[in-house]
Amino acid sequence: MKIALFALSVMLLFAQPALSLDGVAILKQVDKNLQPESFESYRKLINIEPNGAKREFLLYTLKKGNDKIASLFLSPASEKGRATLRLGDNMWLYIPNVGKPVRITSLQSVVGGVFNNADIMRLDYNMEYDVQNIVDEKNEYILDLKAKTTTVAYDKLKMWVDKKTVVPTKIECYAATGLLIKTLYFKERKPFDEGILRPSIIETDSPLYKGYQSILAYANVKKRIVPDEVFTLEFLAKIETIR
Amino acid sequence: MRSLRWNFSLRLRRSDESTVRFVRTLVVLSLLLCASNLLSQEQTQDRPKFEVDLSELQKEIDKVAAKPYSLGGFLEFQPTLLGIDRDSTFYRLKFPRRNQGSTFDQYNFRLRLEGAYKKDIFSVFFKTDTLVRNEFEGWDEDTKLFEAYASVKPSPSFILEAGKKVMKWGKGYAWNPVSFVARPKNPEDPEEALEGATVATADYIRSFDGPLKTATLTAAVVPVYPHVNAKSGELYHTNFASKLYLLAYDTDLDFMVFTGESRTTRYGFDFSKNLTTNFEIHGEFSVVNNFKSKFINETGRNFSTEREAISYLLGLRYLTEKETTYILEYYRDGTGLSRKQMTDFFSFADASYRNFVATGNKAGLVRAAKLAKGPYGNPNPMRDYLYFRVSQKEPFDVLYLTPALTAIINPNDGSFNVLPEITYSPLTNLELRLKGAILVGRSHTDFGEKQNDYRLELRLRYFFGL
Repeated sequence: MKIALFALSVMLLFAQPALSLDGVAILKQVDKNLQPESFESYRKLINIEPNGAKREFLLYTLKKGNDKIASLFLSPASEKGRATLRLGDNMWLYIPNVGKPVRITSLQSVVGGVFNNADIMRLDYNMEYDVQNIVDEKNEYILDLKAKTTTVAYDKLKMWVDKKTVVPTKIECYAATGLLIKTLYFKERKPFDEGILRPSIIETDSPLYKGYQSILAYANVKKRIVPDEVFTLEFLAKIETIR
Repeated sequence: MRSLRWNFSLRLRRSDESTVRFVRTLVVLSLLLCASNLLSQEQTQDRPKFEVDLSELQKEIDKVAAKPYSLGGFLEFQPTLLGIDRDSTFYRLKFPRRNQGSTFDQYNFRLRLEGAYKKDIFSVFFKTDTLVRNEFEGWDEDTKLFEAYASVKPSPSFILEAGKKVMKWGKGYAWNPVSFVARPKNPEDPEEALEGATVATADYIRSFDGPLKTATLTAAVVPVYPHVNAKSGELYHTNFASKLYLLAYDTDLDFMVFTGESRTTRYGFDFSKNLTTNFEIHGEFSVVNNFKSKFINETGRNFSTEREAISYLLGLRYLTEKETTYILEYYRDGTGLSRKQMTDFFSFADASYRNFVATGNKAGLVRAAKLAKGPYGNPNPMRDYLYFRVSQKEPFDVLYLTPALTAIINPNDGSFNVLPEITYSPLTNLELRLKGAILVGRSHTDFGEKQNDYRLELRLRYFFGL
């Protein structure tokens, strides 16, 4: 009996770290399968209203490492030249008319609609979230993620990960109060850099925007490593020159 | 206010005629907009469920990626109704005779054009602004080259630029006491583009790992000659400006200096930091050495002083869960006029006006009008101001709609300016803004003596690009 209790205690002692380790590994693989660590891409953001009216934004995006991402708006004409920069928890928006970058926050949205700045300038999930729990279903893992700091836009995420491809199919984003802010759906895997299959469409809806939908479509995702100096305020107005 | 600088003549329309014409324009525009919006919705309702066509996206990207140039801008129409305060100092200085109407209507047409071309490490950029105005004086046209400069970028770390460009320094939303090279912005419309200055600049950028993430050194040469930056100080001198930017401990920090013979040496510092995901703070501090202040007493006698002028600004931006944004700033302008200096000017202008009415002698009035074109006539000429703005993103689930309310308050004399506005974009590339301004203040106060009691304007902007 004593041996059985001892064995059970040892199992319990090691069970949680082993689960956590798996979760971290899965989450890192999810990040790796969603996008390369450093890349350039074109993205189309589409806001669709309940009456069917839609508005489209074309963005050129550069990402480097774990904490640097910059985007330049190429269309429509009313947004052309706008640029956003994220360095870790810092975010800025450059508007050509204003002529200088201004600090923005992750919960704002530079384009309106369901996507906010944190969605458009998303860093790797494993950089911002800890795995709290994993549920092993037949064809998928369900990960409960908790924000590492209070500066992260969503306090908790619930992520459904396809076991075969190790990419998320759905992510629910929650506020600290437990309020469901939005749901992201990952669709249509396409071969991008070096033929790697990655989701090319992210759709989102929100109980806060009933009837509204936003879509982010990826194209031309290519590995590209640019100097760190590209991800600076002085360079923000000049991203077009290296596109 | 900008309107104070207009050279009005005495040939005015009757006020009721102005109001009727303005309202008629608003009604016609509203009907046209409603019709276009309905048409747009009808068209979209007929469409099948939206699906992303990735092959079309690829075609669009291929087209954009291959193009080394861009050309675009916007067309704008802005009817404005101005309600005149006929007892105010600035009105009397512009219209000494009192037989005018109480409103003006004004119709502005604007074309903003900008273009860019890039090849290898070289690029060029230009921005022009053409304003055509119709008011009681008839038609007027003014075209300005806002920016035109060439850029050489041997590497992302080193950028050389020369030409006419805007160098906006500072973190303040409404005011920037550290903006030593750029023209002052209009606090009523701080996000509007400005005309640049002719400069040659060099930027050296470095990124690091650790608490100091970025350092950028900017050096600028600012010539002041009869046809180059002529209004930027004493002529026939070449001046230098420099700024060091640091991103350290997730805080933006800038240190700047301007020196040369055209203006006295000035130093500045600013900062900005996000304390949380929805709360930002910022500030600016500047010192102008040997600042010369010229002013008059109530009898019109000239005085001048020389001192160190210290200015500073503290501000915050806060976003609530319901996406209401608050901006609050306090601005101390060390180069501004004191309450007494401003009151003395109003007293002198009043006395000059009374003398003109009694005797027909315009000498005092002409002198006061000339002074009004200097610091006394600035949009915010005094030393302390508060700026408060609250805006609500997309209320009632209406996308691209932003109502806002702004107040600019002079705590020295209790006068203020309230600016309600609604911005809406019903169609891609079309932006509407309905904005008002209500100026409130007693006699001999900053906003109480402005020329207008109120202003109402509708701005329609259509953006285009090639």
